[in-house]
Amino acid sequence: MTFTSWQFGIFVGLVFVTYYLPLVRSFQVQWLVLASLAFYGYGQPELLPLLAVAVLGTYLFLILAMRDRSVWLPVGIVFNLLLLAFFKYKFLFVDPASSSGVGVASIDFVLRLPLPIGISFFVFHNISLLVDLTRRKASPPALGDVFLYIIFFPQLVSGPITRAEMFMPQIEPKSFADIRFVEAAKWILTGFFFKLYVANNLNEMTAHMAFPLFETLQTQDRWLLVVLYSYQIYADFFGYSSIALGLALLFGYRLPLNFNLPYVAASFSDFWTRWHMSLSAWLRTYLYIPLGGNRSGLGRTYLNLMIVMGLGGLWHGAGLSYLAWGILHGLLLVMERAITPRANLADSTLFRWIKSGIVFFCVTMLWVLFKLPNFDQALEYLWGMFVPSTTPNPTKLFYNLALLYSLPVILQHLLPRPSWGPLQRRAEPYLYGAMAALTYLEAGPETSFIYFQF
Amino acid sequence: MRQQRIIEARWLVRCAASAGLLLCAAGLATAWIGNGVQLPSTSTRDGSLITLNRYVNEPVPDVVLVGSSLTFRLKEEYFATSKVRNLALAGGSPLTGLEIVANRSRIPRIVLVETNVLSRSVDIGLVEMYSKDDNAYPWFARPIRTAVALYENWMHAPPTLEQAAMRRARLFDQHSEPFDNRTYVDRAFQQFDVDEQSSAVRENAERIRRLTRLLEQRGARVLLLEVPFMDRIEEARSVKATRAIVHAAFPEQERWLPIAVDRHGLRWADGVHLDDRSALIMSQAIDDALKALLPPTSMTR
Repeated sequence: MTFTSWQFGIFVGLVFVTYYLPLVRSFQVQWLVLASLAFYGYGQPELLPLLAVAVLGTYLFLILAMRDRSVWLPVGIVFNLLLLAFFKYKFLFVDPASSSGVGVASIDFVLRLPLPIGISFFVFHNISLLVDLTRRKASPPALGDVFLYIIFFPQLVSGPITRAEMFMPQIEPKSFADIRFVEAAKWILTGFFFKLYVANNLNEMTAHMAFPLFETLQTQDRWLLVVLYSYQIYADFFGYSSIALGLALLFGYRLPLNFNLPYVAASFSDFWTRWHMSLSAWLRTYLYIPLGGNRSGLGRTYLNLMIVMGLGGLWHGAGLSYLAWGILHGLLLVMERAITPRANLADSTLFRWIKSGIVFFCVTMLWVLFKLPNFDQALEYLWGMFVPSTTPNPTKLFYNLALLYSLPVILQHLLPRPSWGPLQRRAEPYLYGAMAALTYLEAGPETSFIYFQF
Repeated sequence: MRQQRIIEARWLVRCAASAGLLLCAAGLATAWIGNGVQLPSTSTRDGSLITLNRYVNEPVPDVVLVGSSLTFRLKEEYFATSKVRNLALAGGSPLTGLEIVANRSRIPRIVLVETNVLSRSVDIGLVEMYSKDDNAYPWFARPIRTAVALYENWMHAPPTLEQAAMRRARLFDQHSEPFDNRTYVDRAFQQFDVDEQSSAVRENAERIRRLTRLLEQRGARVLLLEVPFMDRIEEARSVKATRAIVHAAFPEQERWLPIAVDRHGLRWADGVHLDDRSALIMSQAIDDALKALLPPTSMTR
């Protein structure tokens, strides 16, 4: 059940209406937990027990760690990392299509289970819960609250990765009168617009980046498609995150922002404070800083950056391309740190634009590793961007369509932030209405969210 | 609090009203312009829809081609025969087009079925969508695609009959391009040199036989044809196996369109798909073969 399906619309409608009924007011948390389990089980019912094991196991370690943090916190973290590693990387060693197994039915069943949707996200929630709640000496939270924090359906599949210390205090009875309808509507309409109008339509074009279709592309079209994919992946994930934010607001919860115009970033470190902000914040809080951050000298800082970015790459998937993507981002961060003092000397608007251009170029080129997780194919695609194409029958791309579908991303990033006057404020509902109409009329073919696979 | 609620309600009403108005405007524009505008395709599937839309919206042609990407290359403008529709689906099965043709109330005089690729299954979604005569049009056209389509049609209008004839002549007068396609041929050979899914090919051959019988009972003539592969690809196992199965299923000589084409003049982009000039040569060979089957009025554009 994806956010863009009609089934999801009905599901949210039913959950929302019931949630604010006076009879249910005392059971709002339990109702949301039940709804979240139904949401998760709709697609992968066989993986519900795994979700239960992950949450119950984490809860057990949380209780134990509140008694003895030094012993049980590491055990709880290792338990979650093992879960993640097992399901994420087992297919490197096990062929799910193979008829032969180890011979024990239950083990073979587990070995052949598909990658649980959202495992990368709920495992990070679990770790955040263990670390944050055992840091302060408080009584353990109710099991229902823990379940809600980990499996709250708007954020269950692809985040944003919410920190426990931010979410848990929000768990309290919610009232219909407190709903911020306009804010929720803005987030939801923006999210659907970016997903259905921008990302899904661009996906039709970037489908030509797949192997072996990309061999029919002319050199200039390879360049164009890389840029389009850069816009697509942003629109797709920003769209998902916006819908999640809006939905959470309908139920009285505020999730963290995940994006802040990443393609205007003037440095790579700036980019990571604007792109998938909740993951960056998680990695900084729970990995980079515990590793020593930048407090142990330049060499150690560089090493820490490489470790964090390399693991961040592997978090996305078991593949050389993802690892290379993370390591190359790490290298860019290291190189930037080395030259930043000199680069900052010439700080002017023009220089800032040039820096933004360089960051956008590098980030965009590295997205090829995301689009083509097969490392050899990714290299072949990149190589083809620098040599003249010899294909006798190239694919035709409509540049005007590419521009029209990319325009929302470009305008969002390049238009100066408006200080909204009365006129703009009056025009705002009509603008969102136009976006809603265009979303319905011009939606591209259905395709799943890119980050669902992670 | 109450004031805030009123402001929020106004915002939501204005938003919904503007969305509703725009939808109404789009509906009116669709009714005015119609669904006949061919939207530009950005994918193979989209291209298929355009061709199929034209088939169901326009008068029934004399000749229909169904096939895979091999036949897809034989552009309609390459044929001197008037009223040819090419329903071949790149990446698809010939059965999809054949099912659609057979399911409609009015059928063409001649249906040409490519038999090179028969392992693929029918696209049930497409068959269902285009099989009904009362094709339900969408209420709303896609505004961006329609605008781009109008612009593209204005900038690149389809060739007139004279222009198409001139283009055919110009293309035909070109020399065969000695294109170095070894890499692509090697890859295509690997792809085709596998044990064919014989059961799927047999099932599809049987389905063609059944649909042929249905169409011929209603007055159409169904003929089979093979688009030539490059010599090396012809030696691939799946190509040989498919050919053997199809010829065993249709041994009658008169079931096959007699095409006389000089293979030496043909070139392939990748060993499998003909280049433009070769596609023209192949189309003209089909034209020649159709001369004996169609009344003379159909043979001139």
